[in-house]
Amino acid sequence: MDDDVDARHTPAEVDATFRTLRRVAVGYFVVFLLGVAAFPVLSLTLDWWSQARLVGGMSPGFLVAAFGLYLFFAVLGIAVSRLTSAVEHRMLDDTRDDGFPVTLEPPGEVP
Amino acid sequence: MRGGSALLAGVLVAAWAAVYLITQVLVAPPLGVLPTLASGLVVSTVVVLGYPSALRGPRGGPLGGSAARARSWPPARRPRDPRGMRDGLTIAAAGRSMPLRNGLTPDAARRTAQLIRPLLGGDAIAITDTEQVLAFVGPGSDHHHVGGTLQTRVSRLALGKKRTVVVHARDGIGCPEPGCPLRTAVVAPLAVADRVVGTLKVYRVHDEPAPRVLVDDMASMLSLHLELAEMDRERHLASDAKLDALRAQINPHFLFNILNTIASKSRTDPDESRQLLLRLSDFFRYAVRQDGHFAEFSQEYFFVRTYVSLEQARFGDRLRVRYDLDPQVLTSRVPVLVIQPLVENAIKHGIADSVTGGTVHLRARVDPLTRTTSIRVSDDGAGMAPEVLDRLLAGKRPGTAGPQHSGVGLWNISQRLDSLFGDRYSFDVASTPGKGTTVDLQIPLR
Amino acid sequence: MTGPSALTLAAVLVLLTVVAVVMRPRGASTVDFYLAGQRVGVATNAWAICGDYFSAASFLGVAAAVYATGLDGAWYAVGFAAGFVPVLLFVAAPLRRFGEFSIPDFLGRRLGSEKVRLVAVGVVQLVILSYLVPQAVGSGITWELLVGSGLLGLSPYATGILVSTAVVTGLVAFGGMRGTTWTQAVQFLLLLGALVWLAATVLGEGFHYGDAVADLSTEPLVNPADDGGLATEQNALHPGDAAVFGQPGARYGGLGQFALIVTLAMGTAGLPHVMNRYFTSPTGAAARTTTVWVLCLAGVFYSLAVMLGTAAREIVPAAVADHPWLAELTVDGVLRVPEHALPVLGRIYGGDAGLGVVAAGALIAVMSTIAGLLLAAAASWGHDVYERHINPRATQRQAVLAGRITTLVTACAAACLGLALRPETFAAATPSIVATMVTWAFAVAGSALTPVFLLAIWWPRTTARGAVAGMITGMVVAVAMFTAGLSADGGLLRDALVTPTLVAAPLAAAVTVLVSRRTTPPPDVEKSWLIMHGTAADRHAERLARLVVAENRRRRAARRTRRARG
Repeated sequence: MDDDVDARHTPAEVDATFRTLRRVAVGYFVVFLLGVAAFPVLSLTLDWWSQARLVGGMSPGFLVAAFGLYLFFAVLGIAVSRLTSAVEHRMLDDTRDDGFPVTLEPPGEVP
Repeated sequence: MRGGSALLAGVLVAAWAAVYLITQVLVAPPLGVLPTLASGLVVSTVVVLGYPSALRGPRGGPLGGSAARARSWPPARRPRDPRGMRDGLTIAAAGRSMPLRNGLTPDAARRTAQLIRPLLGGDAIAITDTEQVLAFVGPGSDHHHVGGTLQTRVSRLALGKKRTVVVHARDGIGCPEPGCPLRTAVVAPLAVADRVVGTLKVYRVHDEPAPRVLVDDMASMLSLHLELAEMDRERHLASDAKLDALRAQINPHFLFNILNTIASKSRTDPDESRQLLLRLSDFFRYAVRQDGHFAEFSQEYFFVRTYVSLEQARFGDRLRVRYDLDPQVLTSRVPVLVIQPLVENAIKHGIADSVTGGTVHLRARVDPLTRTTSIRVSDDGAGMAPEVLDRLLAGKRPGTAGPQHSGVGLWNISQRLDSLFGDRYSFDVASTPGKGTTVDLQIPLR
Repeated sequence: MTGPSALTLAAVLVLLTVVAVVMRPRGASTVDFYLAGQRVGVATNAWAICGDYFSAASFLGVAAAVYATGLDGAWYAVGFAAGFVPVLLFVAAPLRRFGEFSIPDFLGRRLGSEKVRLVAVGVVQLVILSYLVPQAVGSGITWELLVGSGLLGLSPYATGILVSTAVVTGLVAFGGMRGTTWTQAVQFLLLLGALVWLAATVLGEGFHYGDAVADLSTEPLVNPADDGGLATEQNALHPGDAAVFGQPGARYGGLGQFALIVTLAMGTAGLPHVMNRYFTSPTGAAARTTTVWVLCLAGVFYSLAVMLGTAAREIVPAAVADHPWLAELTVDGVLRVPEHALPVLGRIYGGDAGLGVVAAGALIAVMSTIAGLLLAAAASWGHDVYERHINPRATQRQAVLAGRITTLVTACAAACLGLALRPETFAAATPSIVATMVTWAFAVAGSALTPVFLLAIWWPRTTARGAVAGMITGMVVAVAMFTAGLSADGGLLRDALVTPTLVAAPLAAAVTVLVSRRTTPPPDVEKSWLIMHGTAADRHAERLARLVVAENRRRRAARRTRRARG
């Protein structure tokens, strides 16, 4: 394999990816903020949130603060990282089946 | 119901079930009715808003799994009626689910015969083409073998005369087998555009033949289906031919220009000319090797990017491009070689002749709820006069045609879209001289 | 000092020193010293980031905050964990792809300005210093409890600060980054091990989390007051009511909770010692995967810490009768210093060895964070200031020396500030002194660095002047609000003032945008964009890695055949 056969990206391609990823990131950030902000809103407006007892004995609010939010963050993180990688792969790398950068083959090899 | 809508409905039901479980069952005291409803509504809204949003990203699944789907034809095939051939089926229902829509094959004939036997009041039904029996259902099937040559004289009679023949006596049927239980027969020819392609035969084991009018009607309905199947096949062949022509047809001017550019850069900037050669080989590889009518959008996007970067080498700063894509659109399937010709058109008619150049915008979105993919290619270049646009859309070369090659015309694209989607797509071109051209394409999401 | 705990502590310290020395890079170049040659596995890097990040504030502070204020204390844990969400969304991959040494380096090159670099060094120093102080305080508290007596006539608190600072400074100055990347990872695993052990023991002894929360919530929350007795906490959400353990309101009003989380969440992206770790990932995609690992590990770590804080509240009052040594630490069954919650739990269940394990965990948390911070300080001074401005022709040896001296100076400054602050002076005002002090660092980082950072990565029009204006605005506003907040008396105003990011960060971002719009952006933005948001370098690195792996495999196979023949 040649040393410098890296297909370089044109500015327009990178710009497109950047815009798409920025939209994704901002969207997820809004979801993140809403998820976090929901807690104080609920504890201010809904007595049930902090006073009812779930099966384990905790209130819904305590359960969310003790476990739920970390789960939320982890799920959010996994989702966004998978999405971002998929978008980068499809928008910047060539999506031919072999996945290797093209080399200049002798003409006979191309059907 | 389509897969996507079913999924959404399922998720909504699950969300409400979860809300109910968490607020009413697992907790003491249960949440009041109003807050429960409110939380359910909030969850539903989030689900519905989140469903079509960009955040869900490319729809899953490895690329390979969908390759087979690209070959399926026609795209608008109706789901087969799951009720199959139960009794009491109306003729209209039978007509809608007629298997012959795919042509006169033994399998389709057998299913058709099973389907229409209760409707015609016959004891045995046979469907033949001009040579052999394709299907035989009912008493007598022990010696009227499927695949056998036409044994009965009456079939040959109907085929020869191109009209319905009614036989009232056992002798008239002309079956060589002496123990044949069949007594009467009505034989109607099946025709595709004046050409007899087969027969529909309705036998009875008693002396009263099946009503001739009914058999006639059924035969003409079957003929209609066969005719449609024939048209489908022709259209398919035609669009295959168009696509093949398209693949072979790489604008020689484009090739000439890009090779010139590479040649001139090979001295001044060997590194870039090397990159260009790589891109050019990518371009040809995709244009030639691709098979099937559909490809993942990201592959078409790769093709467009490759093409644009080659053109940019030629036009330099005069050609600017801006892509604006949804993450979700990347995995949707689009007809091959449609977007690149649109971009090529925008460059050729919008940017190439303009001194200051211009910007080509490619915008692609997916709406999973209405299940459409919308693609817009616009430029802010020279634009086209209405008559030029009309000529382009009508399939003629713009201006004084002469040797100038117009690349892949808009007409070609709209013809192919026609044959792929019927009337389930929209393709709008708007152009203002001096302001630029906008091509809007909306196709079903698949 | 008891035998087993001293033994445990000594064993842990020896272990760490051995690891640091054995893994020490040979023939250290500057690149090796700062960035471990940029080849660190995803998992190791994630552990190392956790080791850097989980400080005394996380280990002692979160449990202490939960112990003291119940649900409101859990907000620290949520905020610390949430910090990596913006990092993942906005920072991790582009930062790595741009590939510089440190935050000031990144901003300086991206915006093409030495002024930005120097201002950033200043902000980074402030963040590092305000992060170091609570770590020093945490180690002092641990020493006080664990050893109980000072050396050379110093108080136990002062001895703890000085000893831990000296040990870590030595490790950093002479271990280099590769040593520290590995030690950070080992330290995190030990820390997590200590926490898991404690949690498993507590659960094994019949502690029921849900019932404990329900039980504790039946009566008002009480904490030691100035007069030596116990005082009932007032509910900030429902004035006039008493605060309850399992319900929000013991410390923060509705705005306070949100402001705290935003402060912590936005701050992480501006923490120099955490961000510097991202430069050691092999690719941008690996940096992202690393962050996902960190998010998951943080979730486990903090949910355990919150549980243990609750467990301490439930178990300690009943244990006072059986454990006479608890008497002097408690007032009517409530700990005087909430930071003692975890060590006390360790001693109740594990005896002196248990105390040793928890104390070792705390010291490890402190030391790993101090190490990361000192290294970040060394990188920003040694690389960004010394190599670029003071002595541009510095040899590798001189640059490393400059870094080591910075390490010593910064550590001494932090230790002095730690000595000047006594935890008791703040205990009444905040749920946990250590956790609260850490928020200062987060507030400065989140107000001054993060907005500029995000704009530089995601907005092509950002200019050097805009960045300078934004950083200075954010820093000044954050510090001013904080100082005002310390003298303000309670209520919504105080909530907003002590967690200034909610106001300062948007202000800094707005100033950056306004000033940037009036100035011209650097000319090579497009090139920066190709590097920062393109994947060409990633692919190149991946292919190189594949080639190296294939080559190694080939060599190994060749060696095997040769051996088989011979």
